[in-house]
Amino acid sequence: MNSSLPVIRVENLTKFYGNTVGVNDVSFDVEQGEIFGFLGPNGAGKTTIIRLLLDLLKPDKGNISIFGKSLYGNSKEIRKLCGYLPGEFQAYKHLTGYEYLNLFTDLRKSDAGDTSLLLESFDLKPKDLKRKSSQYSRGMMQKLGIVQALMHNPKLIILDEPTSGLDPLMQEVFYELIFKKLSEGTTILFSSHNLPEVEKLCHRLAIIRQGEIVSVESIDSLKAKVGHIMELTLSQPYPKLTISGAELIPIDTGTVNENHYVFQIKGEINKVLQKVSELSVVDITISRPSLENVFMKFYKND
Amino acid sequence: MNLLSYFGMVWKTNKAFALFTMGLLIAMQLLILNLVRSFDTQVMMESFLTQLPKNMQLFLKESFFSTLTLDGAAAFGYNHPMVIALIIVNAINIPVRHISRELESGTLELLLSHPVKRHSFMFMLWGSGILMLLLITVSAFLGSVLGIYFFHELSITIVSRVLEISLNMWLFSILVLSYTILISSKAKGGSLAGNLSAMIAFVFYIVFLISQLWDSSAFVLPYNIFYYYEPQQIMLGRGHAGLDSLVLTGLSGLCFGLSVLFFNRRDIP
Repeated sequence: MNSSLPVIRVENLTKFYGNTVGVNDVSFDVEQGEIFGFLGPNGAGKTTIIRLLLDLLKPDKGNISIFGKSLYGNSKEIRKLCGYLPGEFQAYKHLTGYEYLNLFTDLRKSDAGDTSLLLESFDLKPKDLKRKSSQYSRGMMQKLGIVQALMHNPKLIILDEPTSGLDPLMQEVFYELIFKKLSEGTTILFSSHNLPEVEKLCHRLAIIRQGEIVSVESIDSLKAKVGHIMELTLSQPYPKLTISGAELIPIDTGTVNENHYVFQIKGEINKVLQKVSELSVVDITISRPSLENVFMKFYKND
Repeated sequence: MNLLSYFGMVWKTNKAFALFTMGLLIAMQLLILNLVRSFDTQVMMESFLTQLPKNMQLFLKESFFSTLTLDGAAAFGYNHPMVIALIIVNAINIPVRHISRELESGTLELLLSHPVKRHSFMFMLWGSGILMLLLITVSAFLGSVLGIYFFHELSITIVSRVLEISLNMWLFSILVLSYTILISSKAKGGSLAGNLSAMIAFVFYIVFLISQLWDSSAFVLPYNIFYYYEPQQIMLGRGHAGLDSLVLTGLSGLCFGLSVLFFNRRDIP
């Protein structure tokens, strides 16, 4: 493994499903020891990229290198180093939890690794694991899925909606585990609709829209692009302000509070404050945008 | 992953129906042999046969009335439409469950995200299917041998013929398994793969029956898979075990080879 190379390098990846675009001309790098997130609405192409990375889908164009090796021809070797949790994880219904985990340990020709520790962390008891997985609740099934993805200490972990079905307590356990893996130098690729979770975990994000990556940036840099968010309550209706060097873009929050306004500030904040001070302000809050604001910026027209 | 651990999983998933088939095959062999022993139908049936058209006489004589001897009855269990249907359903069920349905449920996606080459997976599935069908065949063999032992006289000749019939049945069921794997390796959904595979078997069976009854369509017989499944002929010492085995094995190999080729190239799911 060459440490100067990115763990994942995707170049001009294109995949069509018949005439429908799955992903189009996608390129990005994921560095070692980072948590890289995919953000996008349903059908944007997140899962398609993940499946292409695991050689489950065959691309129409483009290249993928993982750990410095081309995926094509080295797929088995690369997958030895990966752990994968698919979205909507399903286990074999006729197998017990133990049988299921043993099957995958056997499949990897690996030892039990971190299995006991993981089972303990996720509160999966021996009596649970002796039951057939068809009797598992959604949350238990998801915990089993996370254990199978992490139990062999993979160098690259690919997670598609990992916390769906987990209660808040288990979500915290999962986050701790992810940070522990990160401290050990593991690289994590992460796809989620859960914006606070993405904000909490990811170092960098790829914003995917209609099969194309529209932006790959750190969360801070994405937020900076949106600017600041100003919530303003006035004693009278808002008179449209013209500010040189700045712009106030109204955000529809859906609230019916009279004379309460939310704006995205673009440009120089001082000039905005100067102009706003001339109004009869009842209350004002200026904050950094949330990831939700960023998300809405990219997808509001979809 | 080795074949045995994957077979364990296949067995757990399919054991209920496989055990039912095995039990039924054993029971049926014993029942048929006991039934044929208990009354002499030969004379009665011969007089009935003379009233039928010539083609029908030949067909019934070979496919049914020849079984009214105890030796023939041992072969009849292998040729009964219900037994053939059960064998075919078992052979179809395995690939449809472990390729098509698993593609739908996402379990195959996860399995193939592990360090397993696709052709290795296909070999494990094929091997597991062959082992499952072997267990079913062995149960039919045991049923026959036990039936002959209890209700007739066990001889080396008859045991070797039952063994030959069992091999013929096994190879036939492997062909059904193999062409179902081929269909499943291309098909998008479990229902499509299952229905198409069953329809192929059904069409072959109907065409086979018609070709036996209707002289002008007899030329298609060698192109029919049921032509190479001939338990009664083998029992009567008129079988072509070598040719049957060659054709069934060759076709199975071809279907499996193509399925590996298609499966290697397909998208999951």
